[in-house]
Amino acid sequence: MANSLSDEELMSQVRSGVGEMLGVLFERYHVPLFNFFLKLTGDRAMSEDLVQDVFFRILKYRHSYRTDTAFRAWMYQIARNARLDHLRKRRPETSWEPEMSPAVAPVDTAQQGQEAVLLHHALMRISEDKREVLVLSRFQDLKYEEIAQLLGCEVGTVKTRVHRALQELRQVFHQLQSGKPFSGKGPQGAWPTPGSIQ
Amino acid sequence: MNCEQIGELLPDYLQGRLSPALAGEVEKHLPGCPACGEEAALWKNLALLPEEQPSPALESRFKAMLDSYQEGRWEKANLAAEKSKTPAPLWGLGNWRQIPAAALVWACLFLVCGFLIGRQSDRGPTAELKQQLADMQGELAATRQTVALTMLQQQSTASQRLAGVSWTTRLPEPDAKVMSQLFHTLSFDSSVDVRLAALDALSHYAGRPEIRSGLVNALESQQSPLVQVALIDLLVDLHDKSAVPQFRKFQQDPKINPTVKKRVDWGIQQLQ
Repeated sequence: MANSLSDEELMSQVRSGVGEMLGVLFERYHVPLFNFFLKLTGDRAMSEDLVQDVFFRILKYRHSYRTDTAFRAWMYQIARNARLDHLRKRRPETSWEPEMSPAVAPVDTAQQGQEAVLLHHALMRISEDKREVLVLSRFQDLKYEEIAQLLGCEVGTVKTRVHRALQELRQVFHQLQSGKPFSGKGPQGAWPTPGSIQ
Repeated sequence: MNCEQIGELLPDYLQGRLSPALAGEVEKHLPGCPACGEEAALWKNLALLPEEQPSPALESRFKAMLDSYQEGRWEKANLAAEKSKTPAPLWGLGNWRQIPAAALVWACLFLVCGFLIGRQSDRGPTAELKQQLADMQGELAATRQTVALTMLQQQSTASQRLAGVSWTTRLPEPDAKVMSQLFHTLSFDSSVDVRLAALDALSHYAGRPEIRSGLVNALESQQSPLVQVALIDLLVDLHDKSAVPQFRKFQQDPKINPTVKKRVDWGIQQLQ
């Protein structure tokens, strides 16, 4: 029954105190949110903490949800804020190579697998604002208008940023492909070979 | 159209939101232009990156939070405390029924409560009753200690040992045996996660001088850079100036990981 309700109807119920409806929203969005954070940070544990924080905030700020606004946009707004707060509290120079090497979906050929690994590394190394628009538009399937609203900028700016992100991704991807160390703006610090951390 | 014009259209093209005529223009351009062509291909290939699944712990944490909200504890309890809850207490709570030793302790607890409620309903609390209550609490605490030790020492999987570590945080006054086992776990557990959890558990007792000096010394035997950083951070948080000599010694270690080196430099700076 609850499964046929729209996000907005569910959230309205949560707002009026029917907490269990949040369970349905959790079912719908915890995996996308986890992937949003994971693709931004490369850190599984932190991403899980942040997802938990988002649902905590949804409950805490349920009264500020306006029933005429799209739930998804509101949720991603909360997700961004949760992450920004987290970044603010973060210690200096904690930029680790994600401990787990990127999981790669089963693919047909070894070459494709290799490409996915490189692409993952390239994505993690482009600048964060660009990575964010790529993640939002490509993986979270948000429309540019929704992203613009989320970031508080013009739609045109979002499109430009998507294009720049792809340009930068292409550059980094090439550098990684040719085996050169990347010297751009991405996460700083050592990038040890797999296994050197532990 | 030149690359600049195509670049403006590309984002809409990639989301399939161009008119057929403009999409056709983009498609005409792509094969002949390596730069634009590769950008479009990268967009497509991002689909190769898999959708990842979070661990089951996320769901149990969410359920625990929702349960506490449903039970109305939220309105009373302070929200900040709920939020800062780490997953630690939930490892045990979420699956306590599956851990026989934990179930035993819960059973004892329920028994004591049931017994006391029964007694209470007969007559008011007496000195004898209070004594019995104290005895039972003492026994319960001892049982918990044993459970914690058993879980730490004998469990084969990392998640079971994690549950063991989280048990220790529920002991009101863990004894020296538990503490020394926690230090052993911190230095030698095969899983970095379990080591970090042990550090977190020990940090609750960092007020005790012997624990504090144990933490300072633990830096030397620690092999995992992540745990090294966590240790440095904890000692900095504790403003423990006695850690500085150990930090300096550690700084000189030729095998030190470069990131950890930066952190220890920072730590020394903070403590001075």
